[in-house]
Amino acid sequence: MKILIIEDEKELVGTIKSFLGSEGFLCETACSYFEAEDSLSAYNYDIIILDLTLPGGDGLDLIKLIKERNKQAGLLIVSAKNSLDDKVKGLDMGADDYITKPFHLAELNSRIKSLARRRHFEGASELIFNEIKINTDSSEAFVNEKIIDLTRKEYEILVYFIVNKNKVITREALAEHVWGDNISCVDNYDFIYSHIKNIRKKIEINNGINYLHNIYGIGYKFSEK
Amino acid sequence: MRLLQKTNRAYFLISATAFIIAGVVFYFVISFFFKDQLNENLISDIKVIEGTIEKKGILPNYYPFIEIREISGKSERSYKTIDTLIFDEIEKKEIPFRQISIIDSVDGKNYLIIARDTLLEEDDLLEAIAIVTGSVFILLLICLYFINRKLSLNIWQPFYKTMDELKSFSYDRPGFKLSAVSQTDEFKELNDTLEKLTQKVISDYQSLKRFTEDASHEIQNPLAVIQSKLETLMQFPDLKKDQAELINSAYAYTLRISKLTQTLLLLTKIANEQFPEKRSVNISELLEDKIKLFEDHISGKSLILKKTIEPECFLETNYFLAESLVINLIGNTVKHSIEGGIINIILNKSFLEISNPGAPLNVAPEKLFERFYKINKSSDSLGLGLAIVKEICRLNRWEIKYKYENDLHKFTVKFRVFIS
Repeated sequence: MKILIIEDEKELVGTIKSFLGSEGFLCETACSYFEAEDSLSAYNYDIIILDLTLPGGDGLDLIKLIKERNKQAGLLIVSAKNSLDDKVKGLDMGADDYITKPFHLAELNSRIKSLARRRHFEGASELIFNEIKINTDSSEAFVNEKIIDLTRKEYEILVYFIVNKNKVITREALAEHVWGDNISCVDNYDFIYSHIKNIRKKIEINNGINYLHNIYGIGYKFSEK
Repeated sequence: MRLLQKTNRAYFLISATAFIIAGVVFYFVISFFFKDQLNENLISDIKVIEGTIEKKGILPNYYPFIEIREISGKSERSYKTIDTLIFDEIEKKEIPFRQISIIDSVDGKNYLIIARDTLLEEDDLLEAIAIVTGSVFILLLICLYFINRKLSLNIWQPFYKTMDELKSFSYDRPGFKLSAVSQTDEFKELNDTLEKLTQKVISDYQSLKRFTEDASHEIQNPLAVIQSKLETLMQFPDLKKDQAELINSAYAYTLRISKLTQTLLLLTKIANEQFPEKRSVNISELLEDKIKLFEDHISGKSLILKKTIEPECFLETNYFLAESLVINLIGNTVKHSIEGGIINIILNKSFLEISNPGAPLNVAPEKLFERFYKINKSSDSLGLGLAIVKEICRLNRWEIKYKYENDLHKFTVKFRVFIS
C-alpha cells in the first residue's frame, strides 16, 4: 500500500517513514506545497497524510487537488491542536480523518490502518494475531474461534494493541487513544492497569496466550515474546 | 446621563438663575419708577388743588384721594411723603396708599392738603412679575428643548451612528470602516482618529495572533520530532531497564511541554475570543457524556458519584469551550477528591455545581484560578485547568464561584442566558 506523507518537518517525515515502513507501508514524502503538487500530479496513492501548515501554500488548497487527482485516496489531515477551524474545514472538504500534532506514532499507525480497513484496501475487516481474531465490522473479538465478552474500552485497547503489534505502546498513547487527550488533566494512569488485567484474564480463560507484556514502566507491548 | 439631558439641565439651571435675578431687578425698577411717577402725580394734584382753593375758595374732598382740612398753626411750605394703609370699604381690606401733604395758607388761613393714591400692592406686583418672567422662562425652555432635540437628531446623528458601529467592532474582522458622514469638523476628526485606531488594533491583533500561532507551531514541530524519535527509540528490542527509564522520563517531560504550549495557546485563543462559532449546546448531554470519560478514574479512586442533572438544558455557546469547561471542572474534582469521597454534580438551567470533599485550602480562593497555581507544587499537573475554566466563564459572561463549606470544595458556574 502506497502512502504519501506531506509534511515540512524533514526529521519528522523520516521517523514516520521508517515507522510506517516497518509496518509494511510504502512511503513517499513531499516537504513543501510544490513537491506535494508534483507528486500528486504524477502518481496515485492509497493514503495521503497531509499536514495543513505547509510552507509555500495553504494545505487546505491541496485537499482540492487531492480530491481532483487522487479521488480514491484515503486522506488523513494533520493539524495543530486547538486549530478547530482547519480541522472542521478539512473534514468538510472531504478529508477522512484528522490527527493533531504532536501525535503518537502508534496512533498514526492505528488511524492509517483503520482508514485502510474502512476503504477495504486489503479486502478485510478482520484483524488476526495467532489465535486472536477481531471483526472490526461487528466489533467482536474471538479467541480460538470463541467469542470473548469485552467491554467497549477493553475492545478498543485490544484493537489498538493488535494494530500496533510488536511495538512498544506508551501508557500515554494508549490513554489518549481510548479516553481522548482531554483526560490528561487527571495525571494518573493507574486506571489503565485494571483494563489490561481484565483483557489478559479474558484471553487466558479461553486458552489464549498472554501476549501483553509490560515494558519497564513505559507501557506495553503486544507480541509473541 | 445623556448629553442632551446634561445640556438641558445646564440650560435650565442657568436660565432659571438669570430669570430669578431679572425678576428681582424688575421688581425694584418697576416699583421705583412707579413711586416716582406717583409722587409727581400727587404733587401736581396738590398744585391743582391749591390753585382751585385760591381761585374759587372751594375745598374739594374726595376721601381718600384728596383731603383738605383747615388747621391752626403755622404754614410750613414743604411736602411730607408717607406711605399708609387705609381700609377700603369695597375690597374690605386695608390698601396701601402713598400720601403727600402740605400745609398751605390762603387768605391767612392754613389748610392741610393731603393727596393720596393707591400704591401697587406688593403681592400684585410680585404676582405680575412672576407670571411674566415665568411664562417667558417656560417658553424659552420649550424652545431650547426643541432646538436641542433637533440638534441632537441632526448634528449628533453621525456620532450616534459611529457609536453603534463601534459597538459591533470586533478585532478579528479586517476591513472595518465607519460609514457615518458628518459636516462637523469635530466628528470628522473623531471618525478619522477612530478609523486609524481600529486599523491599528486590527493589524496588531492579526500580527499577535499570527505570532502566537507561528510560535506554537514552531515549538510543536520540534516537540513532535522529539516525541517521535523517543517513541522510535523505545522500539529497540534489547533495551535495558535503566535505558528505558531514561527514555521514559524524557518522553514524559516532552509530552508535558507539549501539553503546556497547547494549553497556553488555548488560553490565549480564549482570551483573544477566537472561538466565535456559537450554537445551542445541550449541556445536560455534554455533561453526562464527559462524566463517562472519567468513569475509570472515579472507580479507581473508589469515589461515589451523585448527579442531579436536569435533562435538556441548552446554552448558547461554543461547543469546544463548553466541553473544555466541563472536562476541566470534573477533572479537577476527581483529582483533588479524597479516596472514597462523594462527588456531587448538579446541573439545572441556571447553574452547574460540582463539589468534592477535601481538606480546606490554605490560600485565598481566588488564587485557585491563577495560571500555574498548584496546591501541590510537586504534582505533575500544569496548574492551568481552573485558569481555563475562569477564562471560558469570562468569555461567556458566566460567573464562576468557589466555596468551601461542610468540608466540601464547591465550584459553581452561574449561567446567564438560556434558551430552551
